[in-house]
Amino acid sequence: MNDRGDRQKLLEVKDLRVNFKVKGGAFTAVRGVSFDIYKGETFGLVGESGSGKTTIGRAIVRINSVSGGEILFKGRRISGRITRELDREVVQNIQMIFQDPMASLNERAKVDYIVSEGLYNIGKAKDEGARRAAVQKALLDVGLLPEFASRFPHEFSGGQRQRIGIARSLIMEPELVVADEPISALDVSIRAQVLNLLAELQRSMGLTYLFIAHDLSVVRFITDRIAVINKGELVELAETEELFARPLHPYTRALLSAIPVPDPIVQRQKRVVPYDPAVHDYSVQAPSWREVAPGHSVLASDEELARYRDALERGDTLAIV
Amino acid sequence: MQENGTILSVKDLVIKFRLRGRVLTAIRGASLELREGETLAIVGESGSGKSVFTKSFIGMLDQNGWVDSGSILFDGNDLAQYRKEEQWLGVRGKRISMVFQDPMTALNPLRPVGRQIQEVIELHQGLDGRQAQRAAVELLERVGITEPAMRSRQYPHEFSGGMRQRVVIAIAMACKPRILICDEPTTALDVTIQAQILGLIKALRSDFGFTTIYITHDLGVVADVADRVAVMYAGTIVERGTAEEVFYDPRHPYTWALLSSLPQLGVKGKPLYSISGTPPNLFNTITADAFAPRNPYALKVDFVRQPPEFRVTETHYASTWLLDPRAPAMEPPAAIRSMRDKYVARSAS
Amino acid sequence: MDTGNAPSAQSDGLDPSLFEQAEFDPNAGERSGYSNYSYWRSTFRMFLKRKSALFFLIILVAILAFTFIQPLLPGQKSPTTIYQDPATSMQYRNVEPGHEFWFGTNSIGQDLWARIWSGTRTSLLLGLTVGIAEMLIGITFGALWGYVRGLDRPMTEIYNVLDNIPTTILLMLLAYIMRPSFKTMVIAMCSVGWLGLARFVRNQIVIIRDREYNLASRCIGTPTRRIILKNLLPYLVSVIMLQTALSIPGTIGWEVFLTYIGLGLPVNIPSLGNLVNEGRLIMMSPDLRYQLIFPTTVLSVITISFYVLGNAFSDASDPRNHV
Repeated sequence: MNDRGDRQKLLEVKDLRVNFKVKGGAFTAVRGVSFDIYKGETFGLVGESGSGKTTIGRAIVRINSVSGGEILFKGRRISGRITRELDREVVQNIQMIFQDPMASLNERAKVDYIVSEGLYNIGKAKDEGARRAAVQKALLDVGLLPEFASRFPHEFSGGQRQRIGIARSLIMEPELVVADEPISALDVSIRAQVLNLLAELQRSMGLTYLFIAHDLSVVRFITDRIAVINKGELVELAETEELFARPLHPYTRALLSAIPVPDPIVQRQKRVVPYDPAVHDYSVQAPSWREVAPGHSVLASDEELARYRDALERGDTLAIV
Repeated sequence: MQENGTILSVKDLVIKFRLRGRVLTAIRGASLELREGETLAIVGESGSGKSVFTKSFIGMLDQNGWVDSGSILFDGNDLAQYRKEEQWLGVRGKRISMVFQDPMTALNPLRPVGRQIQEVIELHQGLDGRQAQRAAVELLERVGITEPAMRSRQYPHEFSGGMRQRVVIAIAMACKPRILICDEPTTALDVTIQAQILGLIKALRSDFGFTTIYITHDLGVVADVADRVAVMYAGTIVERGTAEEVFYDPRHPYTWALLSSLPQLGVKGKPLYSISGTPPNLFNTITADAFAPRNPYALKVDFVRQPPEFRVTETHYASTWLLDPRAPAMEPPAAIRSMRDKYVARSAS
Repeated sequence: MDTGNAPSAQSDGLDPSLFEQAEFDPNAGERSGYSNYSYWRSTFRMFLKRKSALFFLIILVAILAFTFIQPLLPGQKSPTTIYQDPATSMQYRNVEPGHEFWFGTNSIGQDLWARIWSGTRTSLLLGLTVGIAEMLIGITFGALWGYVRGLDRPMTEIYNVLDNIPTTILLMLLAYIMRPSFKTMVIAMCSVGWLGLARFVRNQIVIIRDREYNLASRCIGTPTRRIILKNLLPYLVSVIMLQTALSIPGTIGWEVFLTYIGLGLPVNIPSLGNLVNEGRLIMMSPDLRYQLIFPTTVLSVITISFYVLGNAFSDASDPRNHV
């Protein structure tokens, strides 16, 4: 357990709201999400499709615009309208890794251009020799051969393409990297490569990750803390092992029970617990974000909060996986 | 059907494709036996040929592909010899059916869902309109769609992803096929929906008694549904056996790599076991073991000749030179050993 | 370990030393996945496989080359000189195709053979100039329209207004206002033709502007100009070339039309439009019909060639056909 008091808050998301205009009004993708990310940690954001997790990631890198609340980076607001210099700082310090390696690279450009594209934008590509050296280093850092720079994306496999995408982000030397489902579209055996790479880069470059995923079992391996999001709202947030040992919110429990475990005997004995929103009775009081134990918060009403606290005190067996 | 309950028997199948003026071999001699009533999972990554392999069972290879040699014996016929559409009409959809990965593209967006099921019933079972309609509504109910009569008149875009996949399953089931092939049916779906669909297929299986082939890359799904498992790499089956045998006592280095690279088995802070590199380019003729360049357990002979299938038990076979008596004894990676030990401990208790 | 049925050491001819562990090179695996697919190479191959495309390509290139070579050949006549019989001082009017005048002469004694090639040259030049100019204007407008979200609304309104002006009338008006000349035709056609291409480009860009690779470029701070040039337009090259190829016969067609109504190129510049028009005037007499048939044939061949080539290229450049 680390003392969080002295760790720097790199990113603060405060009551974030994002609406999209669709036919017939507005669709609220993110409704009042708040969390902090500390320097050096890997923060997992887990949810199913439509939960709003990708929207949050994109709002942080300013691809999506924010309809309410704010996002702070190192204490300064980076959401909404900001100055050009601040925008430039965001570009340099916060980068994104995209999900689909088949769609996230420019097919008509050489790997050389793709990887160093960012350098052109921040004015660091003036010296051709330095630029090429930077590209070489970036490719080597992600485990690719420097000779790949003169080739086109279609000549590479999914895993290699994803690494090119990672090189593209890293060449900017960011502090925070938003990884939006970076391994979901990859083959199983390649996922391990990329996860190892991400972990290694974090150590060597001192990166902080926001790791967005839908697969809790993958996230367990790489994250320090996890937030579970359902339909635009956070339902639970805790340190990783704490979340797996003592999942409290019914949605978290349903999610955990639904993940198939690659162990036939264990899997066949598992019972899937479906999530039924009707299990909450919010007619009397709307739920709010409460701290159940230090570092462990849940979306709950007073009544549920009391129940959760009791369960924790009694030391009930809550673990599902 | 043969005496030991085999309903589909594939022997040394070779499938080739013509692509950009060259010929590539997608399946390089794969053999398989499917027993009645079981669920077989075919595990492989992209480029392994798992989809191509099963598409050849229903004659759905792309235009530029063909079965070069080998046999597919089903119900006394060799499907590998079929050249004309008419021959396939009696098999496809009727006795062997397929569920594809993306339900949105598998359904016709311009026709109501009930009509699409009806079409299949009318075509294969010869029922007339009213009867077929009733059968279609019944099927929708069977696959767990509430208010089936009303929903049968709706269009695919009015259904959610999981619901659409149920409809696709209903269409595949419409003619009570002997074999149902599911090609990554839940990959595009959320985890909770996936659990529902897998449960549905298991329930239907016990009701209707069909044999299932599951194609997937998700080993968790395999653990959930499979009786037997076949692992494919670069167009061949490298290991096959019961689920217990493949998970707890795997013998092929690729299977070791697949299992031990799962993040679920990883220890935080230590790198995951991973396979370097990428699957081979199938344009190049592969004469030796296709996995050799990426195999840290490779023997020199792996670069010389492709290993034959070695028998581990009556049901468990692996194509690796490590099983040859001349090969040195090799210990699998730590994660595999611990799975094996856990299993032995569990069986003993 | 039960390895029941392994082959015996003698039977499979494998040296026992092969059963030692091999050296492992992690980079060997990286190299094995190389795919040698090249988009343009595949496009080229698919295009050339179409026999009809090849055929018309050869014809078109031959015609184009010949229009430039023809004046340089020995014994060619000038397209504008009125030829007179030296003996009678009578103009060689309406002479049928024969030894002296290969395609005959027109009603005032000009050599039709020379006029046709000169006219073809002019018309092709017009088509190409207009095509390229339209391309530049259309792409610029269309790209901005499609990519910059703020411009979408106002530009759509402008488009709607301009689109509703009847092309024919606008063309006629412009040709009428400005003096008849090659430049006038170019300006008039461009003013009318860029709109279609702009709309087309805009639609294509709207389709691809939110693809992940464009989001990624925005994320690393790439300015709009470079996103359009390096991310979007390269994808549109094949479709833009198709549109331009199809517009060339269209331009020539418009030119013919304007000439019909007297607003085309001046009479002293031979063009296919002028030639067809002259031929039309005397087409009722069967022995003078050659004056219509020759230019019309050349015009038809050019038009058909461009259409066939354009469609063949469009099919070939679709990556889904690269098999």
